[in-house]
Amino acid sequence: METKLLSQHYDKPEYVSLKGYLNLGGYEVLKRALKMEPKAIIDEVKASGLRGRGGAGFPTGTKWTFLPENGEPRYLLCNADEGEPGTFKDRIMLERAPHQLIEGMIISAFAVKSAKSYIYVRGEYQMCIRKLEKAIREAYDAGFLGKNILGSGFTHDMDVYSGAGAYICGEETGMISSLEGKKGQPKLKPPFPAVQGYLAKPTIVNNVETLAAVSLILRDGAAAYRKFGTEKSPGTKLFSVSGNVKKPGVYEVPLGYPLADLIQVECGGLDPGRRLKAVIPGGSSAPVLTAEEAMKATMDYECLQGMGTMLGSGAVIVIDDSNCMVDLLKVIMHFYHHESCGQCTPCREGTGWLHKIVHSIVSGEGRLQDVDLIPRVSRQMMGRTICALSDAAAMPAISFVEKFRDEFEFFVREGRSKVKGHLHA
Amino acid sequence: MPKVKLNGKEIEVKPGTMLIDAFKQAGEDIAHYCYHPGLPTAGVCRLCMVEIEGNPRMQIACNTVVTEGMSARNNSDKVKEAVRWGLNFHLINHPLDCPICDQAGECGLQDQYMKFGKYTPEMSEQKVKKRKVVSLGERVVLDSERCILCSRCVRFTSEITKTNELGIFNRGDHAEIGTFEDKPLNNNYSMNTVDICPVGALTSKDFRFRQRVWYLKDASSICTGCSTGCKIRVYYNEEGLFRIKPEHNPEVNGYWMCDKGRDIYKHVNPEARLQEARWGQVGNWQVKDIAEALREAGEAIRASVRDSHHSKVALVLTGQQTLEELTAAVKFFLSDLNSRDIYHWINNPEEMEKFDGLLFRGDRNPNTKGLLSLLASEKVSATWAQLEGKLNSHEIETLMVVGPEDPGVFPDLAAKLKLFAKAKRLVWLSSARVAAVDQVTTATWQIPLKSFFEKDGTLVNAQGRKQTLRKIATLIPAAVSVDQAVAVMSGREKAVPMGKFELNWKKTNFFVGERGSL
Repeated sequence: METKLLSQHYDKPEYVSLKGYLNLGGYEVLKRALKMEPKAIIDEVKASGLRGRGGAGFPTGTKWTFLPENGEPRYLLCNADEGEPGTFKDRIMLERAPHQLIEGMIISAFAVKSAKSYIYVRGEYQMCIRKLEKAIREAYDAGFLGKNILGSGFTHDMDVYSGAGAYICGEETGMISSLEGKKGQPKLKPPFPAVQGYLAKPTIVNNVETLAAVSLILRDGAAAYRKFGTEKSPGTKLFSVSGNVKKPGVYEVPLGYPLADLIQVECGGLDPGRRLKAVIPGGSSAPVLTAEEAMKATMDYECLQGMGTMLGSGAVIVIDDSNCMVDLLKVIMHFYHHESCGQCTPCREGTGWLHKIVHSIVSGEGRLQDVDLIPRVSRQMMGRTICALSDAAAMPAISFVEKFRDEFEFFVREGRSKVKGHLHA
Repeated sequence: MPKVKLNGKEIEVKPGTMLIDAFKQAGEDIAHYCYHPGLPTAGVCRLCMVEIEGNPRMQIACNTVVTEGMSARNNSDKVKEAVRWGLNFHLINHPLDCPICDQAGECGLQDQYMKFGKYTPEMSEQKVKKRKVVSLGERVVLDSERCILCSRCVRFTSEITKTNELGIFNRGDHAEIGTFEDKPLNNNYSMNTVDICPVGALTSKDFRFRQRVWYLKDASSICTGCSTGCKIRVYYNEEGLFRIKPEHNPEVNGYWMCDKGRDIYKHVNPEARLQEARWGQVGNWQVKDIAEALREAGEAIRASVRDSHHSKVALVLTGQQTLEELTAAVKFFLSDLNSRDIYHWINNPEEMEKFDGLLFRGDRNPNTKGLLSLLASEKVSATWAQLEGKLNSHEIETLMVVGPEDPGVFPDLAAKLKLFAKAKRLVWLSSARVAAVDQVTTATWQIPLKSFFEKDGTLVNAQGRKQTLRKIATLIPAAVSVDQAVAVMSGREKAVPMGKFELNWKKTNFFVGERGSL
């Protein structure tokens, strides 16, 4: 069953405007939050067990406590550079409920004592940017942003920043580099952003959904939030479901929800006559699940981790038996080859190498040893680089070859796809 | 002082030391390309992997500060495999054109492959095509295909010279080093990028394809290009000197030197040198035996003193020679000739105090400080105006000039020679062959001097630091040092010890070891 906590009002067009948002109870949580101690807000978020919704699933409240108490200006950055193939839930949130994010951000900024925040939006999301800019103006006019917000003495400014189409800028330090006007490349850690981030000042980077959930948690309390989801993955989550289902889209369900139900119930199942072959549960970088595994999976951090994959950003890509896995891997490898920033050698060279190997196979020029070479190269790209893009390219490659080895070997031996039966070159 | 255990070896290091430096201190081999002790950390080559006790993930040593009791190793199978693959990744798109690559023999990729790699390559796909033979500026050429994107050169121009000519353009395996439009790499430190380039991507226009590096011997010396006195390495063989690179000296130049300093080998090579002693004047020169020329010149100087009641000789010195040489010349005048007519020829008065904030100084003499302190301690206070007056009124009979080693830094050379020609006789000592001297209209002895490459001595740099010059080899057999010349001129010695063209620098296949700029 869908559980619409965040997305309760997403079907109401008026929710986009300040007036509509206020009529539906908007900014009430902010008014209460500004009367709280910042520390109490952080404690509440910690108690809720909210985990970062951008992909890594790091506990949000804990992240906030990493900020040093050194009196330096702090920045709050909202990561709306939604670039993981398969993910589109932030886009829906920004288009349908910009004020929900803004309210959550002001509360979060108040909690971490930040006077300035930026929303870094994926460059292609022009409509989101326009809606956010309008909403921010409205919030300023209504006194929710700017100097001395609602007489609380808290001052906060907010701006929107447009990305320019680079996946890597969704990595938090890549985003910080980009926001600083530099080439979008992740930074060496340590120092971590909480200590030295944007303009070398303490910085917190949170995903759109995470920040929006903060106001939800304060509205209902941590205990109420914990009623949804599992012990280690509390709350609800928005899932972007795409691929071979009848009703692809964004669905909010409690964490721990069975993947089979998400596909069969929420998304209306597969096309008639088609059989489920595989599911990528957390965006293109998540290792693929076979149909059997997918039927057993529940959508929470711990279950998917236990199955050797990950929840990621909650992007579910459903693959039926009409797809050639070699072909799909080529698309994924092309993506990571194209998006590697190129600073770390294993990623720069590895992503290109993997793409070329898979391309050779698809072109009918593969060698049998290439099938083994893919996971061998991939394993050497994991955990060796500044950011996780290298791992993101390696993980699907390993899982595709290991779980669908027969399709790769068939392609090499026969020079054609086992599924589609012809050459794709 | 934190104690750390590296590959089981316990050592003590300074607090704040980076793990990679600690490994080097412990004498443990550690692979790396992007790390350079003179540059900020980039952490991109991912080769200096180590396993740190208590940390499940391998870490890069160049971005890890040592802590008390830290235990790390890089000799485990896990690390060795990671390094082997790290090299593999570096090499998959790197052209294997070592036979025609100028870096071969001193290449980081070659050195590290032999040390840490030795795997069988499995890459059978097309390599990435990139730009070749790209001129980045007046002195540096780029081959993008050879570049491993370690970003050392980019960091050099952003952090050391702060000129920011270089950047990395594009992404992924299409990323390339390049310059911005209309802003070539022409700063006075551009050649350092060639030195720190661990591969053959950046090469020197001046040096490329002139010698294979295994035919070059190298030796340590001091740069005489300006008064900073950077520590340098000179590369040479029987065909001459071919290039100069900086050597690390934390007290003077750190890891760097300027481009101008790299040219000083050119005026040391035989084709630029005064090869033998000469006597005569414009249109009529005859070659003389060096000892005979010195005896005659000395006789002329001493006669000029004997024949008159007041001094009819003068000595002109520059900051180009060693302290020992200058002292010998000054003592010759003060003691033997009882003359205080000693003058300091300042070749570029308006530039003398200039400093670019990094290394290069407007005073293009290696030993001005030495000369000034020598003149001060001997209380020699004669001014250049006095010399001009005396020459213009033809009071000077014999003028001895210890001239430039590098005539290129004497813009006033022709004008000064006209002035010197007003003396009845000129004794000109210089290592360089100067065309203007051949045009002199007065009776002149030209005495060939040794260059910095051929003599021992002391130079006092702008910081007042005494630095020792060591003789590397002899290039011009007839050349003498000033003190050898003075010994004959004063009559104390009858002959000079003849240098000979030394055989120890025969062009053979020298074992250069690991010369890669790591």
